[in-house]
Amino acid sequence: MWHNKIGNITNAVTCPGCGLSCDDLQLEVSDGQLVSLEKGCTLARSFFDTALTPHDHNPMIDGSRTSLDDAIAQSAELLRKAHAPLFAGLVTDVNGMRGTLEVADHCGAILDHCNGDGLFRNIRVLQDNGWFATTFTEVRNRADLMIVVGNQCFDRFPRLIERVLNPEHSLFSSASERKLILLGPWDNGSLPTDIEAMACTVIPVEHRQLSDAAGVLRGLVSGRPVNMQAFGDKTGDQLVELATQLKTAKYSVIAWSATELDFPHAELTIQCLVDLIKDLNLTTRSAALPLAGTLADVTSNQVCTWQLGYPLRTRLQRSYPEHDPLINRYQTLIAQKETDLLMWISSLSPQVVPPVTDSPTIVLGHPGMTFENDPDVYIPVGVPGVDHPGHWYRSDAVCPMPLGRLRESDLPAVSQIMMLLNNKLLQATGE
Amino acid sequence: MLTKLTGGTLYDPANAIEGKVRDIYIRDGRIVSTPPASEPVHRSYALDGKIVMAGAIDLHTHIGGGKVNIARTMLPEDHREHVRRSTTLTRSGSGHATPSTLAAGYRYAEMGYTSCFEPAILPVNARQAHMEMADTPMIDTGGYAMLGNDDLLLEMIAEGAEQETINDYVAWTLHATQCIGIKVVNPGGINAFKFNARELDVDDLHPHYRISPRKILRTLSLALNNLGVPHPLHVHASNLGVPGNFHSTLSTMDAAEGLPIHLTHVQFHSYGAEGDRKFSSSAAEIAEAVNRHPNISIDVGQIMFGQTVTVSGDTMRQYANHGHAHPNKWTCMDIECDAGCGVVPFRYRDKNFVNALQWAIGLELFLMIDDPWRVFLTTDHPNGAPFTSYPHLIRLLMDRSFRNDLLSQINPDAAASSHLSTLDRVYSLYEIAIMTRAAPARILGLTDRGHLAPGAIADIAVYHQADNPERMFQQPMLVFKQGEVVVEEGRITRPINGTTQVVRPDYDPGIEKRLGDWFEQYHSIKLQNFRISDDEMAAGIGSAVTIHPCRGRN
Repeated sequence: MWHNKIGNITNAVTCPGCGLSCDDLQLEVSDGQLVSLEKGCTLARSFFDTALTPHDHNPMIDGSRTSLDDAIAQSAELLRKAHAPLFAGLVTDVNGMRGTLEVADHCGAILDHCNGDGLFRNIRVLQDNGWFATTFTEVRNRADLMIVVGNQCFDRFPRLIERVLNPEHSLFSSASERKLILLGPWDNGSLPTDIEAMACTVIPVEHRQLSDAAGVLRGLVSGRPVNMQAFGDKTGDQLVELATQLKTAKYSVIAWSATELDFPHAELTIQCLVDLIKDLNLTTRSAALPLAGTLADVTSNQVCTWQLGYPLRTRLQRSYPEHDPLINRYQTLIAQKETDLLMWISSLSPQVVPPVTDSPTIVLGHPGMTFENDPDVYIPVGVPGVDHPGHWYRSDAVCPMPLGRLRESDLPAVSQIMMLLNNKLLQATGE
Repeated sequence: MLTKLTGGTLYDPANAIEGKVRDIYIRDGRIVSTPPASEPVHRSYALDGKIVMAGAIDLHTHIGGGKVNIARTMLPEDHREHVRRSTTLTRSGSGHATPSTLAAGYRYAEMGYTSCFEPAILPVNARQAHMEMADTPMIDTGGYAMLGNDDLLLEMIAEGAEQETINDYVAWTLHATQCIGIKVVNPGGINAFKFNARELDVDDLHPHYRISPRKILRTLSLALNNLGVPHPLHVHASNLGVPGNFHSTLSTMDAAEGLPIHLTHVQFHSYGAEGDRKFSSSAAEIAEAVNRHPNISIDVGQIMFGQTVTVSGDTMRQYANHGHAHPNKWTCMDIECDAGCGVVPFRYRDKNFVNALQWAIGLELFLMIDDPWRVFLTTDHPNGAPFTSYPHLIRLLMDRSFRNDLLSQINPDAAASSHLSTLDRVYSLYEIAIMTRAAPARILGLTDRGHLAPGAIADIAVYHQADNPERMFQQPMLVFKQGEVVVEEGRITRPINGTTQVVRPDYDPGIEKRLGDWFEQYHSIKLQNFRISDDEMAAGIGSAVTIHPCRGRN
């Protein structure tokens, strides 16, 4: 629930630990410390443990403690001098992103998320091709055949089986009907234990072979001749059988994590999967379940898209938005020295630290963040869902989940810092 | 502070004022009656020779929510060609068919619109719709929550639940989603598509629940009537876009059994299957039925020629139309056992027989439906055309020779098979004021706007007189929002934010037991996290609610 009021024991807490965004956690917090946590996975425990550990809340300029006022003044001064500021990281909640975009519009900044590479493997397919997708509650209740692509989804989204693929109750698909196919570089020893309850088949395929596998499946589904030479006999037979299963399934689902698919032109692999799904819908029902949302990549992208009309990787230097999913990649901009200031925003995880750059760096960061090289300005910010209420998007980009507040805290939200920065910038320009 | 607008010529149909010179007084954001002569006027505006109307209200425009953001994502080409620069007062933005939220708010205000309603809010996506609308400045907003394809309601109807239980669920949904009305889209059809049904006509049985769209329509329209919700059921009928679908539209009217319903974007539902191309206009049949049924109101969903994108909750029909996608890309989604959405880019061509006839059918409906209080000016933005084409559409209605000129340029077979050239009717300014101000306020139950009598919010648009109504409506001289000038000569002078319009019918909170159990077993979100509170609206989402009264439960 979205709430500003603090109670010691809180039910139905939303977890921003990964894009599954489970909202059934029960937390007991006393004196700002975590007492107990129920239903959370390892990522949830790590998220809340880290967020609720006491940290120094003091802003820093060049590694020395300072006041918030001075940190804001110094940040505004740096922003004023910058010609090509880059706002990256963007690990924040909806209101943090709203504030970030207002300042970005004012400063002519370029915007990218720390997981932009993964995010844009999906976005580029949506931009060029579109897809047929589904959401968790549909999968829980309808799916009778589920293909999970790759081999990292269960580590990246630990409660995927319990919450989505094999729930206790389902409206239309009984546990006995449900089939799970793992299509990826698996060896049988490493399967997650909660898979055992399901009818599960492993089809071992390397990451780079996934687009071939999808192509073969497309061909088989539509009765066109296919070349199976890229696969061994056993895998080939499995793919033939899978094609038959896809055609006869009532509601098949193909899930992947684009962040896992970290190889050149992986967006084309995703497009192959999407085209397979589109073909299947000519005669039966099938849908994609792109797993994403971790570190608020979907959140900041959604807000950017409605406010600017474009996804992230958009620049505002010419006082209007210009988008390019390749040119505006933050790592490239830094490497090619096309930016002269980095503002790094990372409020959910202390591990997401700014990249190395010669340019002045402002960090609005998790209070537990530590640096090898001190940034010019570091302002510790509140953790959404712990220090302040907010909203963030889970994987499907459809359900913005409410985040509550768990403790009293003097840590400012990213949205508050952005408001202070904007006011300072407006003062300086006399507007 | 007292503000006076002097000497303007008023068109205020709610108060039967047609082209009369009247002064208007404003205090604390509201229109007030003439104060004593001794009271000082702090600000006055000389409006001699100017046309004065209440701020315009768009009751059906897709300006916020998941499907709009998918459309924005899919159309970088639309955004590249239409940018809006930031100024010292306003933020930057982009897009024509699917403008960014800030750009949409500015442009609506620049055209004299002061309230807009998003007609297709998936309950599970309501937060996003409200967040987007909160980021749409200048205008007040509101939305209609979609029911009638959610598995919960269909299960209840199939099990023969009491009407009273369904009323509670409908009322609970209005509260939980912070909406002002309920919409049904292709009743049961979006859900049936998830079971692989490809069509569902009004009297077909749903493949799983074995209930008909007629039953769903009847149940929901009765619920809203029983709850005293002012806006009748907002209906996107079965078989959108299918040749011969006017039969379904007539059956849909019939299904209401005399209860009020609002049929939306009826242009897309007025097709016959006559002629060589098996596609013809049935606007006459539909208009005749609307004229005969005082319980029916409609909006048109006029199409305009050019590039746009269709965004709809009607996954079944959007999927069926994906072959027409231009450019060739499309997206569909099944969503949370709630409903779905489909996004298909579209280019309407004046030389194409079907598109040209669609254009003519929309205009036929406008001109053949007698009562301007029951027909609303929409393009179903962006499905028929972007809302920015309203001034052009007004000219088509007000200027017969202009209309006939354009008719002579479209596909000649389409022109020949339309009645349009024989329709002499032209709309008056008064009728335009009815269909864009007075009537939408009335049908939404908004007594505080859409008119210029004391007590109304001082949302006012002032226009220069012009021979060309398109020019006149494109760029008002002044727009007042809550008594403050926010637009001068078509440019934003004062950015402001509006509120969210909602209704709160009574219900028995015992319904949450049944809903809670269902959520617990089948949903991936908990009931507590589904509901949006007033605090969340104001402090989190960023748009406080304005509550409008219901008639009381009966």
